[in-house]
Amino acid sequence: MFRPSLPLGGGLLWKIPWKLSSPQKARQRKRLKLVDKVVDTVSVALSKQGHSTKAVERWYTEMPREEEMLAKDKYTIFDRKEKKYRKGIHKLPKWTRLSQRLNPPGF
Amino acid sequence: MAYFRITLLRSAIGLPEKYSGVLRALGLRKRMRTVYHPVSQSVAGQIFAVKELVDVQEVDRALSKEEMKELRRPDPGFYIESKARDRASPYEG
Repeated sequence: MFRPSLPLGGGLLWKIPWKLSSPQKARQRKRLKLVDKVVDTVSVALSKQGHSTKAVERWYTEMPREEEMLAKDKYTIFDRKEKKYRKGIHKLPKWTRLSQRLNPPGF
Repeated sequence: MAYFRITLLRSAIGLPEKYSGVLRALGLRKRMRTVYHPVSQSVAGQIFAVKELVDVQEVDRALSKEEMKELRRPDPGFYIESKARDRASPYEG
């Protein structure tokens, strides 16, 4: 330990930035688009055979697409304990592998 | 017959057990593994359960392991005009 500071000194103080950096946001948008693409591919392939699946239909009715989402919903998440009820989405465990797109209306 | 070409891009390490179970059922054991499954509702539901981890394409035909390996082979950088054994030797006759 060359530079004594609270985060390096062990214990519970971690330094997680309060917001995402712009490359992190770019990668987040890329991941959202990839999930949209997977859902589209599955639904097109099924509809060619005249089928559909409940899960896919429900996704289309409930979930917004990447381009329809507000920046607020892409990069932050509702938290009742935070000031102004929002925190960065990177505070959510496993956030790069989850579909977290909806937040309570009005917050 | 149409097939789903499914490639595992992100591993399910640290995610709930449900994800790894679905991946095992699809035959995806390691990252970058590609499998082919016929287009059907049950396979679609399985893909949907792990949609954040996989890449999916719809293809007409399932490729075998050898064909997939052939696609990965890099360009050798040369081509063969003719082979010595096919030409007549100047020392004969």
